[in-house]
Amino acid sequence: MHIPDGYLSPATCIAGYAVAVPMIIIASKKVQETVKVRNVPTLAVLAAVAFLIMMFNVPIPDGTTAHAVGAVLIAILLGPWAAVIAVSVALLFQALLFGDGGVLVYGVNVTNMAIIMPFVGYAIYKLIAGDSHLTSPRRVVAAGVAGYVGLNVAALATAIELGIQPDLFHTADGTPLYAPYHLAQTIPAMMLAHLVVAGFVEGIICAGTVAYLQRANLPLLQVNHKDVPLTEAEAALRVKKRISPWLVGGIAVGIMVLLTPLGLLAPGGAFGEDAPDELPLGDLGLNAVPEGMARLNGFWNSAVLNGYDFGGDAPVLGYLISAVVGILIVGGFVVVLVWGINKVARKPAATDPSNTDDAAHADDAGSRTG
Amino acid sequence: MTTLDTPRPPADEAPAPIAGKTPAWLLQGEMAMCPCGCIGKRKKGSFVEKTLDGSAGLLRQVMFGEDIAERPGLLQRIDPRAKLLSLIILLIAAAVVRNIVVLLVAYAFTLVVAYFSAVPVGFFIKRVWLFVPIFTGIVVLPATLSFITPGEIVIPLWTWQGQPVGITSQGLTAAGLIVSRVALSISLVVLLTLTTPWVELLAALRSLGVPKMFVLIVGMAYRYIFLLLGSVTDMYESRRARTVGAVKHDKAAREFVSSTAGALLGKSHALSEEVHQAMIARGFRGDVKALKTFAFTRADAFYMLVVVIAAAVIVLGDQQLGR
Repeated sequence: MHIPDGYLSPATCIAGYAVAVPMIIIASKKVQETVKVRNVPTLAVLAAVAFLIMMFNVPIPDGTTAHAVGAVLIAILLGPWAAVIAVSVALLFQALLFGDGGVLVYGVNVTNMAIIMPFVGYAIYKLIAGDSHLTSPRRVVAAGVAGYVGLNVAALATAIELGIQPDLFHTADGTPLYAPYHLAQTIPAMMLAHLVVAGFVEGIICAGTVAYLQRANLPLLQVNHKDVPLTEAEAALRVKKRISPWLVGGIAVGIMVLLTPLGLLAPGGAFGEDAPDELPLGDLGLNAVPEGMARLNGFWNSAVLNGYDFGGDAPVLGYLISAVVGILIVGGFVVVLVWGINKVARKPAATDPSNTDDAAHADDAGSRTG
Repeated sequence: MTTLDTPRPPADEAPAPIAGKTPAWLLQGEMAMCPCGCIGKRKKGSFVEKTLDGSAGLLRQVMFGEDIAERPGLLQRIDPRAKLLSLIILLIAAAVVRNIVVLLVAYAFTLVVAYFSAVPVGFFIKRVWLFVPIFTGIVVLPATLSFITPGEIVIPLWTWQGQPVGITSQGLTAAGLIVSRVALSISLVVLLTLTTPWVELLAALRSLGVPKMFVLIVGMAYRYIFLLLGSVTDMYESRRARTVGAVKHDKAAREFVSSTAGALLGKSHALSEEVHQAMIARGFRGDVKALKTFAFTRADAFYMLVVVIAAAVIVLGDQQLGR
């Protein structure tokens, strides 16, 4: 997953640094708050460990071995911000000392492996581990899945960065200037290897290490799990906290918002969705646009943001503004709809803790909007 | 890094390419293996052997680099800040070039500079081209086909659904571009790291505006890599000593690896506490002072001038020649 110099255009490299540098600065501030002056030795040693974990050969069944990245593991043990610093430093060593991963693309590599990977992995871990106690097997499973998903999302990001190169940077006759593969090729190529092998390796390291620490070194596991009950009995005493459906919904929408610019890259439209003229008539065995389609097209021509555009000079800006307006309108509509449903279907006095999750969630949502 | 507990028996192959302080047995083996495994050759061998080989390889590379950095040579005399800055300038120049010939000429120049900087040229070429064919070459090969890079077909291979399929000139150019650019970029980075002691490289990072705290962390991490590497080697050596017969790649092996990672994390956590206490005891208040200050000499200024001219020649030459 280490991209060498020469694969990405300078513009992509600048974008990588634009993401990586502020994140590293925020991370060092965040870590400074939590570990104070101790941060220097802690992060230094941690970075050394991150580097060494990348050297571990993990045995896999076919007799060969593979390497783990370890970003998710460090995120689970010491928080995602610490992982950002530790993995960034480890990547710096690899780039400068061993020529593994480029210098110009360092920002992109940091974004993939030191930012996306620990944060995604940590979110998955929190989601699956839930409020289970610290020594429960559920945390081992959570760590394993977090490692698997974290690595694969990072690989997907790498595939996208490589795959947009030939479409964005080519000469007049179509010669790609940088990485030559398109998204349709990079995504399957990267994801096959990572979904089938590397993801499991990462998962094994994460799950195995958490399991080991559960039986051998609980204090280390407690560093980033301060308020988590140790045993099942202790957990039973605590009041349960639920994940707010608002938070989950908000994150899901947020991810989709971040992905919207991909729409600008997609060529053409499926089934002539933009205009009937774009239908590939020959491929469908048709001579002309079907009569009904032609008649009903243009039935509604007075949309405010027609074609996601103001018809101005900046189509991309218009597209993005349309996206924001759309999100607000749809979001507002959903909130009003849920509020209305809650009004109509409100159950009388649903405060009993033995309630089902659905009822509790609906209640939760209702109490916030109403 | 000064001691290594378990020296290997000297291999009976040809002697090391250079006679420095690095022991001969450390200099043998494959260079430029990617520690992440994504480009490395996957030879069959137990995970224990491979991890031990990997740690020996790490020491080998570092000691070899420090050896060369101390030899008298062209680049060794240049201020590390000037070298770092020039690396970035030249990398950017290499990234914007669109002409293969320009890239190859620039690559030939790196060979000349390597020769005058006491870098063994054979090793230097091997180091770069061992990496380039494994990863870049093989990966780029299919991109010459018209499936991936459509264009003017120069070598038709077969037809598929009535369409001729073959190697396109655009694909060939793209492959040549990427291979030569990657080779040039790696050569530039290797030249810098081989001719600059790591400590000076860090100081150069600092003077180029990288935050003090980050540089301090990187510098300390570099030291503890070797201390912790000793712990890792010990754990794997003792595992090998306990194993009778062939090492199996089964569940127990995977448990061993993750337990090693867990033990390493535990040790490092305790270590960082101790280091912190030692630092506080010596009066560390969160502020860092550098011992070494650099003097920017006339030679450095001249070198920078040459680099800027070289970068300008690369970019302008590229524009003149076109693609």
